[in-house]
Amino acid sequence: MVNRFLRKWHRYQPWLEPIALIAWGFLMLKYWITGKLNILIHPNYFALTIIGGLGLLVMGSLKARQVWQTQHQGKPPVSANATNLQHVNFFPPNWSNGLVLGAAILGLLITPQTFGSQTALQRGLTESLPNTRIQPQSFRTAAKSEERSLIEWIRLLNVNPEPDSYTGQQVKVTGFVIYPPSLPDNYLWLSRFVITCCAADAYPVGLPVLLPEENQFSYPQDSWLEIEGEMITQTLENERRLTIKATKLTPIPEPKNPYNY
Amino acid sequence: MTTLINQLNSGFTLFLSLLVEAIPFLLLGVLFSSVLLLLVDERKLLSFVPSHPVLGALFGSLVGFMFPVCECGNVPVSRRLLMQGIPGPVAIGFLFAAPTINPIVIWSTWIAFRDQPEIVVLRVLFSLIIATTLGWLFGVQKDLRPFLQPAIARFLPSPHPKTKNTTDDKSSTLLQSGTYFIGSSNQPVPLESIPPWKAESTLKKKDKKVVIDRPALKSLFLHPSKERLNLILENMVQEFRELGGVLVIGSLIAAIIQVAMPREFILSLGQSPVSSIIAMLLLGGIVSICSTVDAFFALSFASAFTGGSLLAFLVFGPMIDIKTVGLMLSVFKSRAVIYMMILAAQLTFLLTLAVNLYLS
Repeated sequence: MVNRFLRKWHRYQPWLEPIALIAWGFLMLKYWITGKLNILIHPNYFALTIIGGLGLLVMGSLKARQVWQTQHQGKPPVSANATNLQHVNFFPPNWSNGLVLGAAILGLLITPQTFGSQTALQRGLTESLPNTRIQPQSFRTAAKSEERSLIEWIRLLNVNPEPDSYTGQQVKVTGFVIYPPSLPDNYLWLSRFVITCCAADAYPVGLPVLLPEENQFSYPQDSWLEIEGEMITQTLENERRLTIKATKLTPIPEPKNPYNY
Repeated sequence: MTTLINQLNSGFTLFLSLLVEAIPFLLLGVLFSSVLLLLVDERKLLSFVPSHPVLGALFGSLVGFMFPVCECGNVPVSRRLLMQGIPGPVAIGFLFAAPTINPIVIWSTWIAFRDQPEIVVLRVLFSLIIATTLGWLFGVQKDLRPFLQPAIARFLPSPHPKTKNTTDDKSSTLLQSGTYFIGSSNQPVPLESIPPWKAESTLKKKDKKVVIDRPALKSLFLHPSKERLNLILENMVQEFRELGGVLVIGSLIAAIIQVAMPREFILSLGQSPVSSIIAMLLLGGIVSICSTVDAFFALSFASAFTGGSLLAFLVFGPMIDIKTVGLMLSVFKSRAVIYMMILAAQLTFLLTLAVNLYLS
């Protein structure tokens, strides 16, 4: 019984390698086709992922052909040790194959989710851009204030932090809802993540929103809203802050591309 | 409960995004290293080595551009170089710089730290400084053999007799046996002290001074036969599997730290100029993530850690970590490995501390 199992294992085990490669190639192309790549990395690098995915498929197929030829046509296996490659392994080969394949299977089974309020709160809420982000030397914002996105408002605020200079300007922005414990009941925090490379450096930015009515819980945390209103200055946590005085709040579905750049 | 699920979700997204961003670079690194390993004749490359210790160490550090290999590739290559009799400073310079000084690593670092170009420049500069210093320091030791594992030391030429004191009675009262070459210097040169890559040309030109032929650059490249192409594929698959496994573990660690560690703790550790560097040196030593993709790992700490500490991770990590130490012990004796670890860590610490204190 054990012997039979071992013999079977011996026969199937060389296939682990090509399968792991093909699974990753497939997964990366799947993310691209289903649009999930938006959640994971900056659009500038989509091409790299697509080429990488195709490369893995080619490499996996070539390797599969080699294994097939060894098992069915009696060709001797190509052994890197026969030459002087002297590759030194850190893990036993089956372990690393298992890790690579396991990660691909997890990726195929579980769909990645957009970061939400929990992550935003953990990474810290600010209305300023951190020092490590791109600081544009010059940028244009829409002439009409209601055409600015949330990020453009934040950039403006970074250049001119005086909230009073925006008082009365019309606003129309989209983002997701956070209720930070420090805000009073009639406020919510409208936020969006900014990324420069991939989700690893996603950084939440946002603005406080003064609700028209007292009842904040009609808009659940993490739901997406389009908010129209005008800019005012409020004193929150002993600090004068630029605040959106909302006049109209429309629930919207989560955008296909949740980040701003 | 929902908090836990949220945490798991964002951890998983982080994990996948690191992998999806890093795998194309890993593939590219593996492709380059396999092609160059099998198509470039490193023996011929050796004949371009300058003899001055500092220049040699610098040359060794820069050779990485010709062999874009990560940590697990550079140890076997530098072991082969040592066994072929390359001078110590060159081999050690190569060992420490090759994982960082190569086009793919520089490119991926640039993509990750596009908005902080100083990190990219300083990473290259610091790696060069440290590798050259280490190579030069070990070059002071004329005979490297006591530092090496016996199996490797056997292949090395014994030190040139000129360096010995010739009036020493103990060594010169008796005739010494062995094969000698005369005419190549003032004294007969024993066969053992000629490195293998020079031996061929010495044998051919017994009467003349030892001149090393400089081959044409074109002859550095080997012909890609069908067998070689098969070996390239095999080597790519092997390296990808090995580095991919480590990358999966590294991404998992990054995701867990980001999600599970309290933010206050990370910030208090990451904002101080000294403790942030020490934390990142430790992390670099433990997380054996491949140098072509470690910039993305570091990026996930960019918002909480000082610039100097990110540099410490990017400079020290590729030189010394659990994986490389394991590999280095197959070449060097443990005492030498410990010296190198301490030296590399100290130099990295000082250089990056200067960045934290004076540049930012």
